[in-house]
Amino acid sequence: MTTVTLQYYAQLREQARISGEQVSTSAASLRDLYEELRVRHGFSLSSDALKVAVNAQFSDWNRTLRDGDTIVFIPPVAGG
Amino acid sequence: MKHFSLASDAIDLARLHASLQHPGSGGFCAFEGWVRNSNEGRAVNGLEYEAYAELALAEGERVVEEAIARYGVNAAHCMHRTGNLAIGDLAVWIGVSSAHRDEAFRACRYIIDEIKHRLPIWKKEHYIDGDTAWVACAHTYREHEHEHKHGHDHAHEPAAAFVPDYSRQTRLREVGEVGQAKLAAACVLVIGAGGLGCPVLTYLAGAGVGTLGIVDGDRLDASNLHRQTLYDARDIGEPKVDLAARRIAALNPTVTVRTYADPLHAGNIVDVFEQYDLVVECTDDLGSRYLSNDATILTGTPLILASVYQYEGQLQVVTAKPGDPCLRCLWPQEPAAGVAGSCIESGVLGPVPGVLGSMQAIEALKLLLDLPRQADHALLLINLLDGTSQRLPIDAAQGCILHDGCIEAARRGLATAQATHDVDIVFGDLDAAIAAGYTLVDLREAKEVAAQPLHAPSQWIPSELIGERATELVKGPMLLICASGRRSGVAARMLCGQGMLNIHSLAGGMAALAPPHDRVVG
Repeated sequence: MTTVTLQYYAQLREQARISGEQVSTSAASLRDLYEELRVRHGFSLSSDALKVAVNAQFSDWNRTLRDGDTIVFIPPVAGG
Repeated sequence: MKHFSLASDAIDLARLHASLQHPGSGGFCAFEGWVRNSNEGRAVNGLEYEAYAELALAEGERVVEEAIARYGVNAAHCMHRTGNLAIGDLAVWIGVSSAHRDEAFRACRYIIDEIKHRLPIWKKEHYIDGDTAWVACAHTYREHEHEHKHGHDHAHEPAAAFVPDYSRQTRLREVGEVGQAKLAAACVLVIGAGGLGCPVLTYLAGAGVGTLGIVDGDRLDASNLHRQTLYDARDIGEPKVDLAARRIAALNPTVTVRTYADPLHAGNIVDVFEQYDLVVECTDDLGSRYLSNDATILTGTPLILASVYQYEGQLQVVTAKPGDPCLRCLWPQEPAAGVAGSCIESGVLGPVPGVLGSMQAIEALKLLLDLPRQADHALLLINLLDGTSQRLPIDAAQGCILHDGCIEAARRGLATAQATHDVDIVFGDLDAAIAAGYTLVDLREAKEVAAQPLHAPSQWIPSELIGERATELVKGPMLLICASGRRSGVAARMLCGQGMLNIHSLAGGMAALAPPHDRVVG
């Protein structure tokens, strides 16, 4: 199990009803983790529509998780 | 038509009146000066006006222009008679049309007061006793000199009297007079005059950016006022570009404003961007952001993107220099409609676009003034609920370059946007469409077709099957048809999005066609 810190922005924050959380997960990659969270929080966006950043750097969805990672999921937003 | 005219004979007032018609005007005010039968106790039976025409025309033009700028009215004209006039004749006519009545009244008053005071026009009165006299204009009271600060945005000091004072910013070592000259020479396009656009326009106009272009197709709605600080309650229903232009003229009359009352589209955006040094994208529309990004990449005009969601915002500067990342380097494709959420659907706290728009203004000034800025490229995330921000560096090597590069992505994006924009075509009858080379594709249900046949050769694919049967479509220009143009529009856009070329939708559908003589009404 890997323990990571998650931050949610925009629609994801609204749908999760929290702006962040710490989770322990067996997900192998960022993509797997997001799919896990999608089921748990009912996220409407697919990972294709999002950017993901780990430890303040944009990252590939196939990146493996490491203990202590801070992961941010970022949807595009349109308001103005 | 000029704003001021001299007429030696009676003139057609209806024509003058008509020339002041303006779709944005909700009020029209006219003042008429007539020849009366007495002056200072002496009976008058007529008079004669003599003008130093060149000077009167130039000064009259100036007076009316001042009134237009001062009160922000839409149109104004003043006509002054010369020559012989009888009792009751019209000597002066002033007409003003504006959004609201107050400005129209004030502008009218301003024009007549100034005309009386400043124009080289002399009046010779003919008295009943046969005497005549040149009468000086003793009327020197000017109502506008007694106007108080009344909190009305639209009244401002005359443009001629205003000398901008940029000392508070030129005092900055990095700005100075050299920087101020750069700002004065700069042309900046602001797309969207809403929550983000209001602070951007305000700060750039205040800073003395020489030319500001404003793009916005909307009219002000009451629901805009909590975050769109350029406007007030009296402005509801007015086009935002007109309101914003007026507000900027009031704030800094030395700024030249160009307005675009229709959204830019794939057909004109590149031409428009080429006229500017910098573009600030302030719409609430992802489609517009991608369009702007693509035009930025193709023209090399830097772009400052921002967007907000509830209590958060994102900011990205696209420098449009080769090798620097663009919007598509982050999110290659425009997300499907509805994915990104808008202020209407999701809500937004007013100051959130205020903060992000102010940051866009900062970025714009940094670029224009060539101020020190971070060398790398980043997406800035701001969360105003918990007061945090994150600066995520964007690695261009992981962006568009992995495919065909930003330029190719921009070209493709613009071509798709153009195809989507061109999807709807108007035809009065189907024979004209066939003559123009289109193959007709009827997307209606069987019973609709039976009730109202096309009476023209066509292919029939019900709309819900068009996706899976798209391969059956012949090559060449196609015109999709349904009852109202709705289903055909959706289908044509979907097929365009899949890369099919030359797919169009009959705008308005069957309902918009002229009734053919042989049609059986179903």
